Amino acid sequence: MPIKSYLAHPHENKKEELITALSAFKECEVMPATNEDILVLVTDTLDDASDEILKEKIENIESLKLLAMVSGFNSPQNQQ
Amino acid sequence: MYNSLSNRRSFIKKMARLSAMAAAASMFPGIIFASEQEAGIPDGANLDWKKGPCRFCGVGCGILVGTENGKAVAVKGDPNSAVNKGLLCVKGYHQTMCIQSKDRLTHALVKKKGTYVKTPIDEALDIVANKMKETIAAHGKDSVAMYTSGQSTIPEGYVASKLMKGAIGTNNLDCNARLCMASAVTGFLTSFGADEPMGCYEDIEYADYFVTWGNNMAEMHPVLFSRMLEQKARRGAKIIDFATRTTRSSTASDKSILFEPQTDLAVANAICYEIINNGWVNKSFVEKHCNFNKGLTNIGYGLEDNFEFTDKPEKIDFAAFKEFLKDYTPEKVAKYSKVSAKDIKYLAFIYGNPNTKVVSYWCMGMNQHTRGTWINNLVYNIHLLTGKISQPGNGPFSLTGQPSACGTAREVGTFTHKLPKGVVMNAENREFAAKIWKVPVERIPSKPTYHATEMFRAVDRGDIKFIWTQATNPLVSLPKTSRYRPGMQKDSCFVVVSDVFPTPTSDVADVILPASWHIEKSGLYGNSERRTQHWDKMVEGPGETTPDAWMFIEVAKRMGYGDLFPYSKENHVEEIYNEYRQFHEGAKHGMAPLEVLKKESGVIWPYVNGKSTQWRFNAKYDPACSNGEDFHFYGKPDGRAVIWQRPYEPAPEVPDSDYPFWLNTGRVIEHWHTGSMTRRIPVLHKAMPHAYIEFHPEDAKALGVRNGENIKVTSRRGSCVLPASINERGLPTKGQVFVPFFDENMMINDVTLDAFCPISKEPDYKKCAVKVEKA
Amino acid sequence: MKKRLGIISLFIVLFITFIVIWSFSYQTGLEEGYVPIENTAIHTNIPSESGVFKRSEFALEYANMPVDANHQRTLDTYYDNRAYHGAPPSIPHPVKNERSLGGNTCLQCHQNGGFVKRFEAYAPVTPHPEMVNCRQCHVAQNSNSLFKSANLAKVHAPKVGVNNALLGTPPMIPHQIQMRENCLSCHAGPAAPKEIRVTHPERINCRQCHVPTDRVVSEITPFSRTNSKDNE
Repeated sequence: MPIKSYLAHPHENKKEELITALSAFKECEVMPATNEDILVLVTDTLDDASDEILKEKIENIESLKLLAMVSGFNSPQNQQ
Repeated sequence: MYNSLSNRRSFIKKMARLSAMAAAASMFPGIIFASEQEAGIPDGANLDWKKGPCRFCGVGCGILVGTENGKAVAVKGDPNSAVNKGLLCVKGYHQTMCIQSKDRLTHALVKKKGTYVKTPIDEALDIVANKMKETIAAHGKDSVAMYTSGQSTIPEGYVASKLMKGAIGTNNLDCNARLCMASAVTGFLTSFGADEPMGCYEDIEYADYFVTWGNNMAEMHPVLFSRMLEQKARRGAKIIDFATRTTRSSTASDKSILFEPQTDLAVANAICYEIINNGWVNKSFVEKHCNFNKGLTNIGYGLEDNFEFTDKPEKIDFAAFKEFLKDYTPEKVAKYSKVSAKDIKYLAFIYGNPNTKVVSYWCMGMNQHTRGTWINNLVYNIHLLTGKISQPGNGPFSLTGQPSACGTAREVGTFTHKLPKGVVMNAENREFAAKIWKVPVERIPSKPTYHATEMFRAVDRGDIKFIWTQATNPLVSLPKTSRYRPGMQKDSCFVVVSDVFPTPTSDVADVILPASWHIEKSGLYGNSERRTQHWDKMVEGPGETTPDAWMFIEVAKRMGYGDLFPYSKENHVEEIYNEYRQFHEGAKHGMAPLEVLKKESGVIWPYVNGKSTQWRFNAKYDPACSNGEDFHFYGKPDGRAVIWQRPYEPAPEVPDSDYPFWLNTGRVIEHWHTGSMTRRIPVLHKAMPHAYIEFHPEDAKALGVRNGENIKVTSRRGSCVLPASINERGLPTKGQVFVPFFDENMMINDVTLDAFCPISKEPDYKKCAVKVEKA
Repeated sequence: MKKRLGIISLFIVLFITFIVIWSFSYQTGLEEGYVPIENTAIHTNIPSESGVFKRSEFALEYANMPVDANHQRTLDTYYDNRAYHGAPPSIPHPVKNERSLGGNTCLQCHQNGGFVKRFEAYAPVTPHPEMVNCRQCHVAQNSNSLFKSANLAKVHAPKVGVNNALLGTPPMIPHQIQMRENCLSCHAGPAAPKEIRVTHPERINCRQCHVPTDRVVSEITPFSRTNSKDNE
């Protein structure tokens, strides 16, 4: 059950687009900064495989300039 | 921030989010995640939340007011505001509670045969306009005066200035900001030629050291202090408290240094001496961007009526400045400042060390000073010598005490010498104002008249026959009210008071006009960091309460100036602001358009090409810099800031055998200024129901004074009885007593001295000599 | 005879003088011994600032600490342990060293707190570690029976969640803070009762937003203008 957090940088003037695109995934939690062009993204997936797939999907979003991972957690006992 | 272990998953998610936010904050200090803030706050039933600035101090926090059925029922911090990021102080959270006070002024009151008669507002405004016209006809334009406020909104200040200077043609307009900000203004103008701080609050996120000069920020600017505490905890930034009294701020700071009142002048010079002596001067910065000046010395204290002073600046060179500083070695200064040479050297090293970033903060300690302009200059000297200025995390920062001391008093210019752009003495500035106001330029007089203290002296002398005060309470806030209260009671002067609550000032009024409170009208304020904030009317005011700007306009119309004030009742705030904006067009002071201000929680000017300028005079951030260098102090004609040679001179009244104690006055966190609003808020009143007099425990012991015992404090001007407070809220140095001035039932300003800085004309409330005895 | 009468009258005069002088000096003596009681006005005490920022160095740790839900204290157990709210809590566990003042012994656990395996609980943190004669006020509970039963007046402890003046505003401080000026010691950390644990210990300047109310001490009358005649 991996939980990962990222900083996502949108292309110029594409912040709103990126927020909409990311919010479309149910595994994603998006928190945009109010005064900077950056947003915090937390992903919560079932297993490593779906995490990989999600990451690929995210990286294909056009309005995304750069995705930087900040932290990741994964422990099997988390399953509930 | 807590989650139970059983819900470990959401806890981990939270940690993941927090670490990402922390990473973002290290890349972009000052970044705001509003959604995170909002998640923590209960929504509250079906409240309608509207944004605005806080009504109280000059920090200018963003607030959201929740209204239900036309009543304000809740207040929370605006998470979108870069100033406070969702946090407020106890005054801010409870501010709307005062408007329902039982003794609210809801109708105009006109004094007839010694009693106040409820009068329809139209009739009261007729009386005011007629009286003003009659007085001008009988005694000339300069017999009428208006005294406004740093709490006036931008439109209110603008119409006051246009009415007095443009329509009537007198410079008899001053405001209570003279009592709190004037020295900061003259300090900025003499050193940089342009008013208001070069930096902004975001400096807090970058600075390594905060040096607070005579400034109890934990109580007076609590939200900014919280931002400093956060940096202290997270980054290890250090707070150095330099003061004459041990306060909550001293307790929270890393080091507290106490000095003898008035010797801050000497210590600042000693810091400059150390900086030069140790070779910490930023030579290329000083050579490229600074001039050295000296001014007159022994400049007096303004204690006599009609006091006048004009400084005569004279250019000097670095060698002469260095020679002058020889009188201020740390060892020599330590003898009379009671600051050890070691501590002076410590302070000098903080400023001198090229590897640390320092912000200096100050407010009334330096401004309410008989050498207020000088001490402002001296702190600028320190930052200029080391080149630590106009950069993120480096700079001097003068804080304000009123919500629009900057926005209205300083930018619109409700001082006797000011115009919305420039000063009345300057022909070009007068022409520019006359053009926008559509008045003949000859109507604007070129000579300033009365500053605040002198204005009330003129009322006492009988020179002013009509005075109109707005949003201020001078008979509690002026120094030496023991003279000015009887002065205003005289029949020679007709007094009009616009206010929200009855005050000792409205007690002497001939006409009392019921004003709308803050959220009962639309308006704009400007805070200490050049941030302009707009709000829309949120609730209806009771009875016949009317916005101040509209009362000014109605009187102007009745006096026959209707064509100069063609504003509509519904939309006057917008119309006035759009007219005012023309004064500041350009890269040096451009104001944001109203559409932007309505959308955002405040915008910093200069607003150029859709962007706020956070650090002025720095070419990297400020598009107005045009000299091709890294820095450009464009306020001065040659683009250079001025390092001033200013000596130490003693206070006008020092303790002696008859009056052996220094008296210092100030505020407490619960109450704001004269307490006319905060004392009507039950939470605040119950936490601090009355004023008190603070003693040093050793002084109390020597006098046999116990806590809570009534003490009579007497100066050469008057006396006041208050309960003693020993080692409670604050701890003055030995030989000093401290009294907060909010309590109109215990008027300490009957005791204070009306000496002022000859350059800024701002009175010194922090130093006079008193004796104390058991009452 | 005349001579004898003269002597007697002289003695009478002397005797009367003696009585007068003696009673006069007795009366003055009484006056000197009498100390008039000053009628000092009652003024509310302003809470001391000492300790306001104590323990603030742990604030960030408190903020980041996960909650151990199985070992939380509640407000009920917190009040159970004292005679009335504001009274010094009694010692609910065996005392390590009967002869110790308390300082060295009690502070081992109660200065900074921490989990104690033996009692399956977190040690509460004292707000006044500088007062080392702990057992001057805190006594052990060695018996549950009473010497004689009594009718003690019940004082209602302040409740949580009802101390806001407006919707959503920071609650006021509903208890006295003498000797408890340091908020974090009871309102943060694992030993804090869960109802009164602060959600934002990292703010540390508590009294920026939370101020004491008069509810528990004495009624403070609303602000009134005593210096001036009424406008209305």
